[in-house]
Amino acid sequence: MLEVNNIDVSYGHAKVLHGVSVSLQKGEMVFVVGRNGAGKTTLLKSIAGFLHPSQGSINLENRSLLGLRPDQVARQGLRFVAQDKKVFGNLTVRDNMELAAHASGEKLDQAVELLLSLYPRFEKFMDKKAGGLSGGQREILLIGRALVGEPGVLLVDEPTEGLAAIVIDDIFRILSGMKEKISTIIVEQNLSVVGRLADRIYIMKEGKIEKEITDPAHIQDAAQLECYL
Amino acid sequence: MHSVADKKNLISIAPVGTSQIVRDLAIVAAAFLLLSLFIPLHWLTDFAIFCILVLSFDLLYGYMGHLSFGHMLYYGVGAYAASLSLLHLAPNPFLAIGVGIVSGFAVSALVGLVVVQVEGAAFALVNLAINQIGFWLAFAGLQEYTHGEDGLPSSVEALGFLDFYNLPVALGFVLICLVLVFCLLRILTTSPYGVIIEAIKENEDRVKFLGYNTYAYKWLTFVIASTLAAFAGTLYALVKGFVAPTDLSPLENTRIIFSVLIGGAGNLYGAVVGAVTFEMLSNYLATTISRWEMVLGAMLLVLVFWFRQGITGYSYNLFLKMRHRRRVGG
Repeated sequence: MLEVNNIDVSYGHAKVLHGVSVSLQKGEMVFVVGRNGAGKTTLLKSIAGFLHPSQGSINLENRSLLGLRPDQVARQGLRFVAQDKKVFGNLTVRDNMELAAHASGEKLDQAVELLLSLYPRFEKFMDKKAGGLSGGQREILLIGRALVGEPGVLLVDEPTEGLAAIVIDDIFRILSGMKEKISTIIVEQNLSVVGRLADRIYIMKEGKIEKEITDPAHIQDAAQLECYL
Repeated sequence: MHSVADKKNLISIAPVGTSQIVRDLAIVAAAFLLLSLFIPLHWLTDFAIFCILVLSFDLLYGYMGHLSFGHMLYYGVGAYAASLSLLHLAPNPFLAIGVGIVSGFAVSALVGLVVVQVEGAAFALVNLAINQIGFWLAFAGLQEYTHGEDGLPSSVEALGFLDFYNLPVALGFVLICLVLVFCLLRILTTSPYGVIIEAIKENEDRVKFLGYNTYAYKWLTFVIASTLAAFAGTLYALVKGFVAPTDLSPLENTRIIFSVLIGGAGNLYGAVVGAVTFEMLSNYLATTISRWEMVLGAMLLVLVFWFRQGITGYSYNLFLKMRHRRRVGG
């Protein structure tokens, strides 16, 4: 479904990704794991159109995404949930969902319903400014917003970073619910979440794919994954 | 896989409540009628035209977060185009309004293609530079048509009851235009389009994540704001019967920026309150204090440091606090 082949990406003269290749099949949930600075976020940003590889190819269902702007990539059905949990803080939760609904040609009611199905407690926050939400609620709102219009591929960057354990459970439940329905690439450091949800894992190190783990026994063994962080 | 349509309407209008429009209409009209008891009608007509100009700027700055130092250019384009239409085509006010609006649209559509590619300070300064070019063209470059420093006088014929030389009639017509612009902006800013431009103000990259071509929205907003400014310029030309290069001087932009800051950016009532307050201050202070601009400067400092939400924002917050206290107390 999504094929990233041998891409090189640089920030100015500094090359950050060196010949990175990853793939994603329909309905798969693939995790990318690695230390800080390994190039995980750069990989997602490159796929989402925010950075342009100097070499290699990125194809979504055999259509090249290279050279497309982020909005054009999004219109191809690929959504990106960034790491920083920035919602439109001056807009209400409902307006945040309206933005997603309007972009996808969906009705606002359906978008709101989807958000409430992910997290029913949003009912009482719907007309409050999103800037007042907690970090976990913001992440859920971002994921809910990205899911409007049933995107083909979802890229999620560190969804549980900096969140309390109780909120991580909510995020885990939402990600579990997406499994097999949406093809997803998730960058994540929480190995307990990775071990329980991953179909495959890519280990990144110094801008390269160090290893691909497909063995379910190995995937579920958080202790073995620990050595890659 | 769900595929989102590539071509979508830039503006999809959500049905804003009729009651809200009626309320807006009643408040703006009533406020001006009330002011007419205390303020000379010729001032009030100027105030109403200035309100349209400030409202148009508020769409660009208050709602989309793009500060321009060149908005007066479009006001001037509208005023000059309307005057030239009155002089060379026909002294018909509606033709002049049409020509002024189309000219403002055409110039801003072309300029917008370039200026919305830059952000922040660059956006403000590129607009200032283009405004300066427009000022020079009116002053010298197109002197043959604009009469340069001497200005361009024009006269308009009366159409039935619509006689721009009759002050109450002119005020009435301008007031109708003001409430129509207000209602148009109310519809736009409460539609999904309004939500999108507010989101662009907050974080343009995030809007792109969702699949929006933000360049198109920024261009459209620039063109709408500039065309409305041109509309205000046409009304000025009709009411005054005279337009001069100083009417599009880049320095005049400070009046609009002051007004939006005084009233509260990103709030239609704020724009009207700011415009009226600024005009009243500048008109009354000028008659009592020789260096009245210093008072305005001091006011701006106070606004920037303590009242960033302007009169309307501060009043609203005060109202919320008082209501909260009353509830807690009760």
